[in-house]
Amino acid sequence: MATELQLLWMALLLYTLAGSTAIGATVLATRFERVILAMILAGLAAHALSLGMRWERLGHGPFITMFEILSSNVWSLLLIYAFAYWRAPAVRPGAAVVMPILLVMMAWSLVTSPAAGHYPPTYRTPWLYVHVLFGKIFLGAVLIAVGIAGLILLRRAGVRVARLTQLPDAGRLENLAFRFMALGFIFETLMLIAGAIWAQDAWGRYWAWDPLETWAFATWLALACFIHLRVTVRLEPHYSAAVIIAVFVLAFLTFFGVPFVSTAPHKGAV
Amino acid sequence: MTWFNRLASPKLTLVVLGLLGAGVLLVYPGEVRSDWALTVPLTLLAINLACAVATNPVFRQQSALLAFHLALLAIVAFAAAGRLTYLKGELELAEGEVFEGTLTRHESGPWHRSQLARARFANDGYTIRYEKGVRRAETRNAVRWLDDTGRERHAVIGDNEPLVRHGYRFYASFNKGFAPVFMWHPAGGAPQRGTINLPTYPIHEFRQALEWTIPGTQTTLWTMLQFDEVLLDPEQVSRFRLPERHTLVIRIGDMRHELAPGARLALPQGVLVYERLGTWMGYTVFYDWTLPWLFVACMLAVTSLAWHFWKKFAAQPWDR
Repeated sequence: MATELQLLWMALLLYTLAGSTAIGATVLATRFERVILAMILAGLAAHALSLGMRWERLGHGPFITMFEILSSNVWSLLLIYAFAYWRAPAVRPGAAVVMPILLVMMAWSLVTSPAAGHYPPTYRTPWLYVHVLFGKIFLGAVLIAVGIAGLILLRRAGVRVARLTQLPDAGRLENLAFRFMALGFIFETLMLIAGAIWAQDAWGRYWAWDPLETWAFATWLALACFIHLRVTVRLEPHYSAAVIIAVFVLAFLTFFGVPFVSTAPHKGAV
Repeated sequence: MTWFNRLASPKLTLVVLGLLGAGVLLVYPGEVRSDWALTVPLTLLAINLACAVATNPVFRQQSALLAFHLALLAIVAFAAAGRLTYLKGELELAEGEVFEGTLTRHESGPWHRSQLARARFANDGYTIRYEKGVRRAETRNAVRWLDDTGRERHAVIGDNEPLVRHGYRFYASFNKGFAPVFMWHPAGGAPQRGTINLPTYPIHEFRQALEWTIPGTQTTLWTMLQFDEVLLDPEQVSRFRLPERHTLVIRIGDMRHELAPGARLALPQGVLVYERLGTWMGYTVFYDWTLPWLFVACMLAVTSLAWHFWKKFAAQPWDR
């Protein structure tokens, strides 16, 4: 367990360095993009080893305790973000917004207990992996949109750091953010479908308005409203950016807030 | 603008989605009956969608978007049909007992026509593994039934694996326990075998007692299972099992008897024979014929939406 935690600390250190460099690069208008990506990838490798060793030791994936949920989500969100960072240069300045969010999650994971939790029998199904995979892609896509939305709002708020002034206009940025929100909407829909199939077999009902289901559906509705609002009302980019951040907050609370305050659902029966 | 166009308005869609969100938040803490808080906005949404599909030219130009909205309409329709015809219930079966269609508790839609009597099956016993700390792990329950051709079929159901019979899905639940088996020989009548299902074990470990009435009599018995063994040791991995030694305490009025398996108890109306200790399993049952159709509609919705966005975004690269 000591090696697992050492690897995790190493990953967190690399992520923190990458985040600090990203913020510095935005303020100073310097391009350390390859260095930032290399640090993220090195952190991901150390983190993957840590998660893999824990998986091997406990015999189940990181789906149970708050420590596991936060740690695995930091890893998957950064993996998705690193892919977008590599493939779409336009999202790169958003790292200055995204990395602090992930650093908060990392800090949170460090104050939770790394002790093992009970792996319920209802979690022994392939649908768990399908459901979790879709959920991670959904949150990753929305997080990328949040990075771009943050840039729009920072510029709108009059933050005149050099890198922000070099970015494309707000309309183009917002259009890119919308694409990631649309991607997030598709994967959230898939996550709900996979979750309903799992719930039908595990608990004998596909939908029961338990806290996680309710807030996941509320997030889906918020995303549907955003997409519909953008098409029908043609929002100004900064309003659109604000809605994107609101949807992310709702999704974040659903993913990490509801399991934290509610222990009954999605934990299997006694 | 005609009333039809007003009903098709995309702005009305936003209002209705907001109403649906409010309905969800009302249902969540249980403040409001779910039927109305969700039915009203969903009906409005269906009307709004149907009118929009009929009048908005954008749906004739973009077939993927049309498919997505039609799939949404189908989901609402199937969900409504499901609520009208569903059944959710619970039952208990002692080891070897056959389910004849009687539920201990149930709720159903107003249009549900019960076919439960056709969904007969027998409980052939189960194994449950417990991890340290008496945390339930795998449940494996052997079941048996006759198929439509009269052939005997066997299966093992349990976590994530229900038994599906005539559309009814039977799930082995965490609800299970001990069931003393009795043979009642009434004076001048045919003997009857029966079981009593003691409270759930291990949740009610220290309350393994139940009051019951002998069939065809006014005699009420208080029955308690007594044993000294630790069946599920919190310090190690264990399995649900019967105690190796036990007695059954029977109280009738002021009289107290301790029965071992095979013991007989003479009563004014007949003789009660305690045959053996067995187990019982609790099941939940769920029926909703719309499940496969809902799945198809959901997959059509998500595929058509992905197709719509793909076409929309493919025109311009993502890296600029």
